[in-house]
Amino acid sequence: MTSSPIVKFDNVVKKFGDFTAVEKADFEIGRGEFLAIMGSSGCGKTTTLRMLAGLEDPTSGNIYLDGERVNGRATWDRDTPMVWQSLALFPFLTVQENVEFSLKMRGVAKAERAERARKWLDKMQITEFANRNIAQLSGGQRQRVALARALVTEPKILLLDEPLSALDAHLKVRMQAVLSNLQKDLGITFVYVTHSMSEAFSMADRVVIMSRGRIEQIGTPVEIYREPRNRFVAEFLGSANIFEATVEEEIAEGWKVIHEEGRAIIPASELPDAKTGDKITFIVSAENMQLSAPDSEQDGIEATVAGDEFVGGTAMIFLETASGKELKVQKSHEELSTLKRKAGSKLIVSWSAEHCHVLPDE
Amino acid sequence: MTKRPSLFSLVLALPLLVWQLAFFLFPLIFLVAISFWTVKMFQMQPDLNFGNWQRILTRGIFWDAYLHTMILAASASALTSAIAFPASYAISFKLSETAKRWLIFVLIIPFFTSYLVRVYSWQVFLTDAGIINTALGYIGLGPFAMLNNNFGTLVGMITLCLPLVILLQTFSLNFVNRDLIEAAHNLRCGRLRTVFAVIVPSARVGLVIAALFAFILSFGDFVSPLYLGGGNPPTLSIMITDITKSGQQWPRAAVVAIMMIATLMTVALGAITYAYKERGK
Amino acid sequence: MGNENRIINGWLMVHIALCLIFIFAPIAGSFVFSLNSDRFPSLPLGEFSFKWYRLIYEDPLVWAGLFNTVVVGLTVAVIATVLGFGGAYTDFRYNFFGKSIYLALALLPPTIPVVIMGLAMLAFLSRIHLSGSTISVIIAHGVMCSPFAMAIIRLRLSQMDPDLEAAAWNLGGNEWATLRHVIIPFTKPAIFAALFITMAVSFDEFAVAWFVSGLNETLPVKILGFLQGQVSPRINAIGSLSFLLSITLIVLAQLLLRNPEAEKK
Repeated sequence: MTSSPIVKFDNVVKKFGDFTAVEKADFEIGRGEFLAIMGSSGCGKTTTLRMLAGLEDPTSGNIYLDGERVNGRATWDRDTPMVWQSLALFPFLTVQENVEFSLKMRGVAKAERAERARKWLDKMQITEFANRNIAQLSGGQRQRVALARALVTEPKILLLDEPLSALDAHLKVRMQAVLSNLQKDLGITFVYVTHSMSEAFSMADRVVIMSRGRIEQIGTPVEIYREPRNRFVAEFLGSANIFEATVEEEIAEGWKVIHEEGRAIIPASELPDAKTGDKITFIVSAENMQLSAPDSEQDGIEATVAGDEFVGGTAMIFLETASGKELKVQKSHEELSTLKRKAGSKLIVSWSAEHCHVLPDE
Repeated sequence: MTKRPSLFSLVLALPLLVWQLAFFLFPLIFLVAISFWTVKMFQMQPDLNFGNWQRILTRGIFWDAYLHTMILAASASALTSAIAFPASYAISFKLSETAKRWLIFVLIIPFFTSYLVRVYSWQVFLTDAGIINTALGYIGLGPFAMLNNNFGTLVGMITLCLPLVILLQTFSLNFVNRDLIEAAHNLRCGRLRTVFAVIVPSARVGLVIAALFAFILSFGDFVSPLYLGGGNPPTLSIMITDITKSGQQWPRAAVVAIMMIATLMTVALGAITYAYKERGK
Repeated sequence: MGNENRIINGWLMVHIALCLIFIFAPIAGSFVFSLNSDRFPSLPLGEFSFKWYRLIYEDPLVWAGLFNTVVVGLTVAVIATVLGFGGAYTDFRYNFFGKSIYLALALLPPTIPVVIMGLAMLAFLSRIHLSGSTISVIIAHGVMCSPFAMAIIRLRLSQMDPDLEAAAWNLGGNEWATLRHVIIPFTKPAIFAALFITMAVSFDEFAVAWFVSGLNETLPVKILGFLQGQVSPRINAIGSLSFLLSITLIVLAQLLLRNPEAEKK
């Protein structure tokens, strides 16, 4: 990504009356990048997308599209097509007429319109439905019509607002693959708004995590997963054990800290300029936690098994310490088979120092 | 967000606004104005004269008509509501969805038939030697005087209001939570008590609005009081048509009209306040 | 309890039937009387006859009235639907200061008694020298019918996916193009329904028309004239014919409003 970014948000703020929907959004999107904007409902992700599309005007700050400032430019004067959560297909038009719509709005002649629409119907493998009504299509077919309709002008950027949320789980996975391949094929920028971590992390090159109008972190899925910046992101990921601690003293292996459940060692690289008495928050990911039998010699926190949950090929064990803190441990089924565990049994939870990550923003 | 309205929005919003301002609101305001005008040599002249008000409001005949109109409209409203309720209740709670839809369609039809024709038809039914009295005569009853009295007027008014009241009542009953009725039955609340203790209070807003519409329609109606009630004593609407059609005393008719609007507004305000009043004591 | 239930339900059904008989007796009556030779129909009914239809057919004043009614009805339908469409879209799309006043002004006319509307219109229109003309009836009916058109079209707009319009803008259509290519096609059934229903309302309106029409009487005003004169079963013949016309319009409107729903599923 040596060329200039296709999108630049420069301190963008959006207010609806007293309510701040987006607070100081400041980021760039590269050409050909697949960017996911993720957060729970009301976090400002859709407003951010709508500002990019020109459906909302920022209250302050600037938005640049392909190097040009586009504040105040109507959506119909931008080429930022969007795929809607509701798909918003025109029920009174046929599939082909839906796909031709934006060409018609741009005054393209009838014959050329049909030809270009056909090309996209082919590409989305829905040519056979060209003359059908929207009502006669399945959910997956409608999705493809929506994509073809948005892409028919061959835009440099495509906006997607939770396009898969209406599909069932099975179809969702298939459409994720379709979208991923499509984006690589076309080489254009996708901006994808979703509340689903699995969608964002599996498709996107970079992910923007938002909460209450603020951008909490921007990074590749791996970066975010390994090094969440703050407690919100760590909690949002859902698999991290979070500890509040106070720095005690520096020893050979790093810093010794006191947390709610005991002592731990944090590698010096995680705390470059700490001093005794500093308050820190660190996390240990559930899959990096160890479980051992209560009679083993292992040093760690004693906790009671509260329950478990299957996550694919692994199990997530939930435990509770004497003080009531919940801990999560994720292990494969083989690893667990040697361990006696049922609800109520006591186990020792431990981890090695290299798996501790200090949240930089806390 | 105080944006200047776009040309687009003005083109869509303004025609209706201008039309209703010029041809609806302005004539009503004009009506208030001419109630202070004077008539000289059969010509209305702008003035600020309270003579018309004084003349109308001190006349016994006006107040007789006023009282008569109030009683007729209130009776029509109460009777229509009472007749409509069991039907609305049955439509809303006892009929299948298909039957319900058909009945609603059937009840819309009368709105598109001429009220005048229906009133004329009632004349034929109700006269002394008419169909109903002849039929009653076969079984040794009557004849009853059913025309040119309050009975006739009320028949006409109920004809006018009944379909609308049934429809409005049915819609409001459709919104009554069915679980509430189940609950009442489970609590051994009897059928009739369920109706009055649960259903009527839950649908109160709709029932009151329906009765209010019946009152407004009957209060303003001049056809039934004239052609079925005989026009004697006159109602306020008959007074307006008489005064207007028989000469240039429009300012006096305007006074009567304003009194009617004031009454309707008071009644509507009272009814709506009552309808939305907090439940409970 | 099940038994008692059945009896009560039976009575309720009888009550519905009685209500329907009461509502439809005058309508059915006027049909029967219109085909009856008697001037004062009673029991037993007189013989079947087209006399009254022939009389109205031969009456040039009835034809003139019909002509006025149709001219007024068609014009009013178009005006009221255009005004109502604008109002419905404004309510659907915009929030602005004084919106409730706008809506009140748009929707209140049907709650004002027709005599008062008639008097106010007469006084106002005669002041601007329009009373007694067909135009004055059109103006008055425009006021009275546009709320119906607005309500019908507003209802259709509320069935529209709120993203549909924004999607059209996003695909390059400006507001005018979107109005033409999305909003109007979507509301088309309601637009036609509004045309038919406002036409039907105008066809049957007599009171305000009577006040303001002067010599250019519409058919319902003609009926009022017959009613004021001596009893004449010609009213039944005219009434039956205009009923058939109105019902045709309503059924057309109903079919139009139903179609999109059937399409959906």
